Amino acid sequence: MLSSLVIAVVDDDEAVREALRELLQVLSISCRTFGRAEAFLAAYRPGEFDCLITDLRMPGMGGLELQQKLRALGSSIPVIIVTSVSDPLFRSRTMEEGAFACLTKPVSADVLLHHLTAALAVGKNSGETSDDKKRD
Amino acid sequence: MIKSGIELADLASTRVGINGPASDDRTPWVLRAGEDRYRNLIRYMPTALWQVDTSAARRIFDGLRSDGVTDIADFLDAHPELVELVKDVVCVTEVNRAAVSLFRGQSATDLVKSVRYLFTAAPQMARRIIIAHFEGRRNYTEQTKVLTLDGQTRDVIFSVTFPLPPEELNTSFITLLDVTERLRTEAQLRQLEADYAHAARISTLGELATSIAHEVKQPLAAIITNAETSLRWLTRDDVSVGKLEQLTTSIISCAHRANDIIQRIQSSAARGESERIVLDLKEVTAEALLFVRHEIDASRIDLYIDATAGLPKVLGDRVLLQQVIVNLLVNSIQAISQSEPLNRYIRLSIEWTDSDMLIFSIRDSGPGIAGADLEHVFDSFFTTKEGGLGIGLAICQSIISAHGGRISASNLSEGGAHFQFTLPTAPATLYYEDRIPICRAAQPGAAAAGATATAHPGVLLQQVEPAYRTPR
Repeated sequence: MLSSLVIAVVDDDEAVREALRELLQVLSISCRTFGRAEAFLAAYRPGEFDCLITDLRMPGMGGLELQQKLRALGSSIPVIIVTSVSDPLFRSRTMEEGAFACLTKPVSADVLLHHLTAALAVGKNSGETSDDKKRD
Repeated sequence: MIKSGIELADLASTRVGINGPASDDRTPWVLRAGEDRYRNLIRYMPTALWQVDTSAARRIFDGLRSDGVTDIADFLDAHPELVELVKDVVCVTEVNRAAVSLFRGQSATDLVKSVRYLFTAAPQMARRIIIAHFEGRRNYTEQTKVLTLDGQTRDVIFSVTFPLPPEELNTSFITLLDVTERLRTEAQLRQLEADYAHAARISTLGELATSIAHEVKQPLAAIITNAETSLRWLTRDDVSVGKLEQLTTSIISCAHRANDIIQRIQSSAARGESERIVLDLKEVTAEALLFVRHEIDASRIDLYIDATAGLPKVLGDRVLLQQVIVNLLVNSIQAISQSEPLNRYIRLSIEWTDSDMLIFSIRDSGPGIAGADLEHVFDSFFTTKEGGLGIGLAICQSIISAHGGRISASNLSEGGAHFQFTLPTAPATLYYEDRIPICRAAQPGAAAAGATATAHPGVLLQQVEPAYRTPR
């Protein structure tokens, strides 16, 4: 099932970005990686991605602002935030603003996969999945 | 003549003009009007003022002089009862409204009596005033305390103006300026300053910790993900050696990156931004003490400084060496404050060994360092303090090593910790050069610290013991 999905990974740290790409690859999940939130927004089309995994603190637009921009565009894409900020206040704020999960770096593959699976199930029900794209 | 801009020093001469023989052609009415003006001026001036008849003291002084007494201080040491006598025989003849108000009196008559009541809170001040008067000085001023009639202690600037010929020689003036509120405000300011410095230090360390954590977590996250990805590949039938090689290479490079970050933090203090100039370690110590002096005072710690005269200079970065000394001092202050020992002291010493090294030592009366901790105190992130980051001493070590010295920790046999660092002495040929171009200065802080040094010349540089003792 996962093989038909496309995950977007946004992280300014190349090593982290590439590690996530490799992990998704071994799980047979395709992904596109972006070094900046702005680059992802430019590439974003409704239904293009099934889930967004993004860092919180990045040069330029941060993960929280990216999520706000997506919601403003009417997107319900599930957002998994992966951050080194472990401040619980910040966590609860990202969740309030509609993040699907907020995970603290370093994240184990199992935990990430667990949240990713759950997020994709939610995304499927909410309508924004690559299935929409196929139906268009 | 009456001067409108009246000064205390002029008051005595004013009285001479009025009470002296009326050899001028002014009528009694004119003189009377002048005297009224003068009285009003004194009555309403905002400074508390006492007019004192010192004729009895003058007679005593004359007697002493005819007996051949020249060193009044010596004489009073031998005859302290004379001070008590003077307090009784010298009398206040007039006071103004501000004086009555300062002493919480009902009327001027409450204060018109022998001067003894002025010295209740500071009995020894009378002796110092007598000495100044005997020696023919014009003024005597000190900051002291007085006890008001209703039993309050007030902080005052106590000034006495003695008459000089041809003035009326039996009249002195005392003025008191109430500085209680000012001192209280100053104490509050100092407290605020200390709180602020403390908060600033904590928040800087907090921010540092957050940014270090963020930087180190990135490569660690990549390492973990890559390792887990490798494990997943290993369970697959189509495992590719090339893929595993790529992931392992990535793990190694991320591990190096994490290591570099930590390395950079450790040596950031001693990196190329530092400069080397010829420094007097005693001056650097004095400047460092300025940063923590209030904390030492507030913690009621006695500070002793022992520095041999004529120490050679060292080559170093003023700000970095100050950081080391401040760090060591703060450690000692905290150790003493946490353990509440009977004696509270910090002893600093700078010695010159016959080798080309200066030895800076700091000994404190804290609980010392637990035996098992001794070999770890300079490790990064080693701390015994709740909420401590454990980077202070590690940075000290980096700085001292970068200066070609060594830092060590031990315990004193009588208890307490002993930190010591060595620094090589500067070649004497460099003493007269302004800056040694070993590294170019790029640190604005160094210039600022230099300015501090000039602004506080000689602070605590004397070899007195104790350098300052905090009031109990």
